[in-house]
Amino acid sequence: MDLMYFAELAMNGALVGLMYALVALGIVLVFKSSGVANLAQGALAMVGAYVVWWLADPLGAPLWAAVVVGILIMFFFGRAFERLALRRMIGQPVIMVIMLTLGTEILLRGSAPALWGAQMKRMDIGIGQQPIVLGDMLINRAYLAGGVVAVVLIGLAMLFFNSRQGVMLRAVSDDQTASWAVGISVERAIGVSWGLAGIAAACAGILWGSVQGVDWTLSLLLIKALAVAILGGLDSIGGVVIAGVAVGILENVIPGYIDPLVGGGTRDLVASTVILLTMLVRPFGLFGREDIERV
Amino acid sequence: MRRTLTGLALATVLSAAALGPAAAQDKAPIKLGTALDFTAVYTFVTAEYSQGQRDYASLLNAKGGIKGHSVEIMVVDTGNQPQRGIEAYERFKNEGAVLVDFLSTPVSRAVVPRALADGMNVITLFHGRSDAADGTVFPTIFPMTPAYWSQATAIVKYIDDQEKGDLKGKKIALVMIDSPFGREPLPVFEELCKRLGYEFSAFPYPSPGNEQSSAWTQLRRFKPDWTIIWGAGGGQSVSVRDAISNGIPLDRLASVIWLSETDANIIGAGQTKGILRFEGVAYGKDLPVIQAIEQEVVAKGKGAGPAEKVGGTYYNIGVASMALFGEGARLALEKEGEPLTPAKLKKGLESIKDFTADGLLPPVTITGEDHQGGGRGRIAAWDGSKWVPKSAWAPAYQDIVWDLIHKSAEEFKASSK
Amino acid sequence: MFYRLAGIRHTRYAADRQLWPVPVDRAQIAALTAFAAAAPLLLSNLYLGSYLLPWIIWSTAALGLNLLMGWAGQIHLGYAAVMAIGAYSTIHIVRAGLPFELAIIGGGLLSAVIGLVFGFAALRVKGLYLAISTLAMQYLVDWIVSHVQAISGGSQATLQAPAFRVLGLPVAGDMMRYYVALAVCLVVTSFLLNVGRTSFGRALAAVREKDFAAAIVGVDPFYFKLLAFWCSSFVGGIAGAVLAFCYYRAVTPEQFNLDVSIQAVAMVIVGGLGSVIGSYLGAALVLLAPIMLNNLVAALARAGALPMSEEVLSHIPLILYGGLIVGFLLFEPLGLAKVYDNLRNYFLVWPFRHARR
Repeated sequence: MDLMYFAELAMNGALVGLMYALVALGIVLVFKSSGVANLAQGALAMVGAYVVWWLADPLGAPLWAAVVVGILIMFFFGRAFERLALRRMIGQPVIMVIMLTLGTEILLRGSAPALWGAQMKRMDIGIGQQPIVLGDMLINRAYLAGGVVAVVLIGLAMLFFNSRQGVMLRAVSDDQTASWAVGISVERAIGVSWGLAGIAAACAGILWGSVQGVDWTLSLLLIKALAVAILGGLDSIGGVVIAGVAVGILENVIPGYIDPLVGGGTRDLVASTVILLTMLVRPFGLFGREDIERV
Repeated sequence: MRRTLTGLALATVLSAAALGPAAAQDKAPIKLGTALDFTAVYTFVTAEYSQGQRDYASLLNAKGGIKGHSVEIMVVDTGNQPQRGIEAYERFKNEGAVLVDFLSTPVSRAVVPRALADGMNVITLFHGRSDAADGTVFPTIFPMTPAYWSQATAIVKYIDDQEKGDLKGKKIALVMIDSPFGREPLPVFEELCKRLGYEFSAFPYPSPGNEQSSAWTQLRRFKPDWTIIWGAGGGQSVSVRDAISNGIPLDRLASVIWLSETDANIIGAGQTKGILRFEGVAYGKDLPVIQAIEQEVVAKGKGAGPAEKVGGTYYNIGVASMALFGEGARLALEKEGEPLTPAKLKKGLESIKDFTADGLLPPVTITGEDHQGGGRGRIAAWDGSKWVPKSAWAPAYQDIVWDLIHKSAEEFKASSK
Repeated sequence: MFYRLAGIRHTRYAADRQLWPVPVDRAQIAALTAFAAAAPLLLSNLYLGSYLLPWIIWSTAALGLNLLMGWAGQIHLGYAAVMAIGAYSTIHIVRAGLPFELAIIGGGLLSAVIGLVFGFAALRVKGLYLAISTLAMQYLVDWIVSHVQAISGGSQATLQAPAFRVLGLPVAGDMMRYYVALAVCLVVTSFLLNVGRTSFGRALAAVREKDFAAAIVGVDPFYFKLLAFWCSSFVGGIAGAVLAFCYYRAVTPEQFNLDVSIQAVAMVIVGGLGSVIGSYLGAALVLLAPIMLNNLVAALARAGALPMSEEVLSHIPLILYGGLIVGFLLFEPLGLAKVYDNLRNYFLVWPFRHARR
């Protein structure tokens, strides 16, 4: 097999992986501050996409306004979810919290199509279909745009963690009791991290919605995002970028070579295998902190 | 609990008293059960399909019903879950339904053993087990339209005609969802490959298909002359988008039946010009049946859904399913007499001959052996605003299809022993 | 008043350790068992075949999962995969010509062996990480089942359950299938009822509360975690086989996908962790609530109370189902078992409420 073939698979894979990383960012932000696994992130992305579509299409807002307002709405949606549901779960076993987010996912997956219609919606953010040609390589324009946006947003998130607000978040993620003692409002910090997760969800929803159309299947992004978050380390923001690129490349390159041999879609296996191998070798991920409780 | 349950009757979307004229009231209504998936995997088709079914039933009732019997459709959601489908099926049976419809491959598969044992008619238009076309092994399962195997042959036939009957050395690629549904047509393509001498290769993408770039990159290296996409719902628009990105000419890209104007509009109606798809039911409003529904049902405010969906691809499939049922029920009542039972309806459906519903369908002839109705279909192209037929209604390579059907049906028979 | 407690004195250890010391409880159990045994005569086919039968099978499965989640405190998001292994292997063994009784045990054992592999993840990680590992394994098993045609049954990916006999009697008709499922359910239930009284159950509880504390008092957490996975997977495999033979009668990969795993976990949590009656109540709620809500919404719509399109109507049950899970977790995290317990405690001392302990 030639090098260009490999390069094209790897390039498109890396870009797609970055778009998954954007979904994973929401999971990481929440886990970092509160230690909660947010399995509703896929559904949040779906809601974000529906909201932007609703603002832009039936309400007729210009696209940029719809995106901005949609992101704001999702910020407050995330905060509201934390305030109304998760805060009551403090001190409950982890399975309860996981189940709460799964239940929320079902709830959102039913509500959004009921409110806005189950038929797939068109979300056009002005990215053409024509590919970018680099020699013999074709790069998908939508994925390129998505990958760039994802990198920018993840970079912004890392910058945010150096601001005053972000330092508070880091303090909370280090030690909640100690943060309390020095006068940081832990509840507020966790709420902000949920708001940020909402923003990440809205952006991921818009990007993925423009690629595949808007309907409930956007919530299925969760599994890939989990693989990315686990591989990168559940509490490492920089980790999701590397892990996203890694998962994306593996997912594209491995089936590119193995599928013709076994004659089946081995791609579904890659994400699961990545999760399992990470668990066996390095449960805290590539860049996570090594304080996970081992048995 | 039991009392509350019995109290909860099913959704009767049409009440005979409200819609039917006097003639339709004095005889017992004919009941149908449709347990569809409005909420999970089949959302892309179900709402329109069900709307078409209910509108056609309204039309039948407005015209006095079938031989004076009004038609009552019970609609319920299954969420694509087999256990909910089974519950709905048992309930329909209790309510006296003569025919049930699930429009979901997993639910149909779970119900088929029960329906065969009970002698209940199940219709599976354009989906479900391809081998159910064998009426001797599946006496009460009625695809009535070309199932996936016949759709695959129809597409290859069209390609063969375009290449003037010379496919030697040509390359055909199949991009399909990696699920039993996507893998179903593989034996047909391989069999035809032997006969016609083209080169064939399959490129699976993982379910649900929101991301397929790897398959398309591989496909481009294969340099196919023709590409066939085999998926449903959201995966289809991603496929077409990736095809455009990879420079596949759309007039050489053909799809299984599940590609509709909705998918074309999601990508952009103008950008998808020329794309081909298999068609088993005519598209659009310029058909006598759809015109009648517009005048008698929609114009009078009795439509079951948004008026702009009338005449759409999936809407018309819903209408076709009810038109075939209506014809079968009429024949059954004429030949077998009152009252209509599942067994009589089966005979009625099996005596449908050259029925076209005034041009909505290709001539459909169902016999005791052939429940596929002849396997006629055609290829249509998207011209930016509507689907234009590119070939005439015709069956294609039915010998290969029937070989497979017999083989698979034999396996089914052996396995249920 | 209803639960007369006066005069219940135990003079022997055996009497003190019995499952239901209160006579009313025993009477309730007897009445329920009698009802279950006579159900085919009392209920129409609709209620027997599409409510009671799936309910008891799913309760069996939920009991198996509850052993792992409630008693041993391990999370499992891949239970449907374990059930799939039981269902498929039992069908293949029966087809190979072995009697059903042996096949179902073989299916259970195979599930248990593969379930142990899930369990090995638990030796390494726990909590959230265990949840995600089991989720990944669910995907692996799904993939293998649907891609290996020798397992899933040819190009149609459907396997018919062959006709089978139990104890020499042919099992055909809803009544016989119901009795087979009921027998399995009763065996599993009595096992679970007694688990808490054995050293095994106490060891599991110790591991659940704090595994290294358990290790200090001489309970090997590795061994007991694996044993919990083994037992629970065995029960899951048997429940999967019963589901395939007595209820679906044909298996397809979609019957055991991730959604089903989530449903099983929801049954256990909504029902109540570590509770036998909770498993029954949870299975009833999660399995039957969507169906009943569906019928209720449809009936309301027909009466004109809900002027909405079919598309919106059909999503209401899904919303309510998600809402039920969230609502239970927020307002009654101990599940339906706790609701039942509250009721029972109320009636235990009724009408002398002030005497409540």
